[in-house]
Formats: sequence, C-alpha cells, structure tokens
Amino acid sequence: MTLSRLVFDAAAAFTVFFATVMVVHRHPVKSVLALVVSFFGLAVCYVLLFAPFIAAIQVIVYAGAILVLFLFVLMLLNIPEEARERDPRPVQRFLSGAAILVFAAALLGLLRAHGAPQAPASGPPSPDIAPLARSLFSSGLLPFEALSVLLLAALVGAYVLAQREGAR
Amino acid sequence: MSLADWLILVLKVGIPVAALLSAAGLLSWVERRGAGLIQDRPGPNRVGPAGLLQPLADAVKFFFKEDIVPSHADRFLYILAPAIALFSALTTFAVIPYGASLPVAGRDETIIGANVSIGLLYIFALTSLSVYGIVLAGWSSNNKFSLMGGLRSSAQIISYELAMTTAAAGVILAAGSFRLTDIVALQSGTWLGFIPRWNLLPQLAGFLVFFISTFAETNRVPFDLPEAEAELVAGYHTEYSSSMKFAMFFMAEYVNMTVASALTVTLYLGGWTLPGFHPQGVVGGILSIVIFAAKTSFILWVFVWVRWTLPRFRYDQLMRIGWKVLLPLALANLLWVAGLVTLKWI
Repeated sequence: MTLSRLVFDAAAAFTVFFATVMVVHRHPVKSVLALVVSFFGLAVCYVLLFAPFIAAIQVIVYAGAILVLFLFVLMLLNIPEEARERDPRPVQRFLSGAAILVFAAALLGLLRAHGAPQAPASGPPSPDIAPLARSLFSSGLLPFEALSVLLLAALVGAYVLAQREGAR
Repeated sequence: MSLADWLILVLKVGIPVAALLSAAGLLSWVERRGAGLIQDRPGPNRVGPAGLLQPLADAVKFFFKEDIVPSHADRFLYILAPAIALFSALTTFAVIPYGASLPVAGRDETIIGANVSIGLLYIFALTSLSVYGIVLAGWSSNNKFSLMGGLRSSAQIISYELAMTTAAAGVILAAGSFRLTDIVALQSGTWLGFIPRWNLLPQLAGFLVFFISTFAETNRVPFDLPEAEAELVAGYHTEYSSSMKFAMFFMAEYVNMTVASALTVTLYLGGWTLPGFHPQGVVGGILSIVIFAAKTSFILWVFVWVRWTLPRFRYDQLMRIGWKVLLPLALANLLWVAGLVTLKWI
C-alpha cells in the first residue's frame, strides 16, 4: 500500500464521516459546515485521482461559493438547533436503517460482481487542463450549453415561485 | 526522495512562511508610521530605532493578555475561526514563484513552493475559503455587530470574487496556462527594446479590476465594511478582545495583503522579471527574489496609502461598483484579450 493510497483512503473515510455528520447534526449551520469539510475531503480524493482541475473547481464552486450562500441564508434566518422530536417514529427509523443496509449490500454486491474499474494501462493521465478544455469546447459543447440553459430555467423558475401571490 | 530533496522542499516552503509572518509584523509598523506620515504626525517612534520594535512589543503584549471566550459564544467555532483565517492566508502563497531559479545540488531549482498545473485555480480555491474564517467568527460570537460584519463580508467577497476571477481569466488566456511560472515567462522580454512585456500594458482594464477587487477580498479600506468601526464596533471580530486570537485575524489581514500584492505582481507586473535582467547562478537567483520583494513592497505601500487617503464606501455603492462597473469591465477586458490573442499580437 503506497502513501498516496493511504491518504486517499483516509480522505475518503473523512468525506463519508463528515457527510454523515451533515445528515445527523441537529444544528443547520453546523450541518453546512460539515458539508464544507466533506467537500474538502472529496477534493483531496480528486487530486489523488489525477484530476486537480476538478478538485479546484469543487472547492471554488461548492465549498467557496454555494455553501457560503447556504450559510448566508441560514445565518440571516437564524434557525435554532432542531429540537429532538418526542415521538421518534420507530417504524420509519427501522425502515430507513434497513434501506441503508440494503443499499450498501447492493453496492457491495455490484462491486464484487463487476469489480472496480481498472486504471488505464497507459498510466495516469496528464494533469494538464488543455485536453479537458479541448473536449469541453468540441464534443462536450452541446451538453455543456444545454446544461447552462437548464440552470437558467431553474433560476427563472425559482424566481417565479418565490414571488408572492398578487405581487405581479 | 533523498535527504537533499527534502531539505530543499522544507526551505522552499519554510522561507516564504517565515517571510510572510515577519512581513505581517513589519507591515503593522509601516501602516502606523505611514498613517503618521499622511496625517502629519510621528506615529509609533518610541520602541527601538524609529519605532521598529513596536510590532515585537505588541506581539509580547498579545501573548500575555488574558484569553477570553464569551460565555454566549459557540466555543469550538469561536476558536476555529481565526485559525481558518490565518491558514487560508498562509497556504495561498505556495504556488507563487517568488524568484527565478537557484543552482542547488547540481541542478536548477525553480524558486516556488509547488509548481502545480492548476496554480491560479488553487489560489482562487483557497481565497474563496478565507471567507469562512470571517463568517464563522461573526456567527459564533453570537453578537449582532459580529453577525452583520460576517454577513457583509460573505456578500462582498462573493461579489468581488467574480470580477477578480474574470479579470484574471484575461491573464490565463494570454498565457494559455494556469501555471504561474508560465504566466511570468510570458511577461519576460520587451516590446521595441525598452517597454517591458508586462500584462499591465495590454490589459490595463483587467489590472484595475483585479487590483480593486483585491482590496475588497482583503477587506481593506475603502472596502472594510465587514469591520466598519463607525457602524459595527469592530464587525466580525468585535468579541475577539485583544488576545492572541485577535492577533491571528490581524496577521491574517496583513498576510492576505502580502499574498494579494505578490499575486498582482506575478499576474500583471512581470513577477521577478525586469527588462534586461537575465538571472544566472546564485547571485542572479537571489537578485530575482529581491526584485520580486521590491515590486511586492511597492504594491503593499499602495495598500497603506489608499487606506489613509480614501473614505469607506456605502453598502449600496459597494454592490453597484462590484456588479455594474467592475464585472462588465472585466468581461470587456476578456473580449479585448481574446481579440489580441486571436490576432497574435501578444
């Protein structure tokens, strides 16, 4: 086991752990912060997978911009810690636990049956960004632009939905 | 890696960190003496020659102050916030080439912490994280002035980041690389034999947008709304009474300023290059570091100069300048550079 493999495993475990913290923490602000840490761990994984560009974008866009906006809204609303519910809903709790186990088993089974994807024989890809940019502006151009239109539509939709009745 | 490689790595990383931290101390002196100069008064001149030991005295004072955590604060985040601020400030410098190269152990060693292919993106990623230090300080203090400061800061940094990255995209376009060594290499040499090929000239608009945005990103006057003392007591660090944690915010501000100046020099003022200067050997390498430090010091002085000359913006003015002036200007600059690159003029 090499050093980079060790770091990768640690970062992956770190990512999953803080993702779990994000789900179970009862304070919304701390949940967002756990997600930031989780994204950071994910960025480390990307770097070790020879994708430094994706790692940087992950940190700039998600950790640096989107989650700051989340935090901004949460702080403005000043949402307090969620109170523990009196009725813990035992049936739902049991079912969700079972669902997690089934999903994990299915995932493990798939991995065992088909194996993890093999690393390309030509060795690790170059860390250069130019090839990525070239494919983004040639073969990937149409999906990329379509996606941006989709995001614009979502933005306009959110604006329309957020308007109060009668304000129009 | 051999022992020599490790030693070189430690030196290449350790020297800038030590230099940045000393610069922070020295800058606090320059700032106060500069304020004195501009306001026609002496400034601190009692401790040591010309008051030069004042930062040292301040540091000792900070260490011996009682460390107070307000009882209504979120203890963990309150302590974490200044650490995040200083961490993101210090680590940003890693990819900036602060000199040409030095012959060490039989080969030429480029003077840079880590020469990664995503250099500039790495810087933007870390500066985008620096906002967490301020926002968390504001929120965890559980104080309305702190919270207002934190909120202002997050809105301001996100707005100006956009203009800053768009302006820097012009430099990336001209160099065709995110690597900062490539960006410096592009700017070596001259036009017509005496005009330096610095990005400053073909991309003057981009430089102005970038430079103004760095003021906003480092929360310096005229963009110091997150800590506007006339409205918000001390903004996000109101509850950080003068203990070492306050000193960390203080140092983070000066380190951020130094890194922003170094980045401005690297992107627009040719980095360590100078027309007619071809560094060779140990002397050339050291001279290149000196040139880089001199250029950076000049930009740092402009930061101090502006602080004691201009008043603070109002909040609506801040947003209007960011979105309606700087961003369109940065986009126009990008178009202009794209035209220059297409015509192969640069």
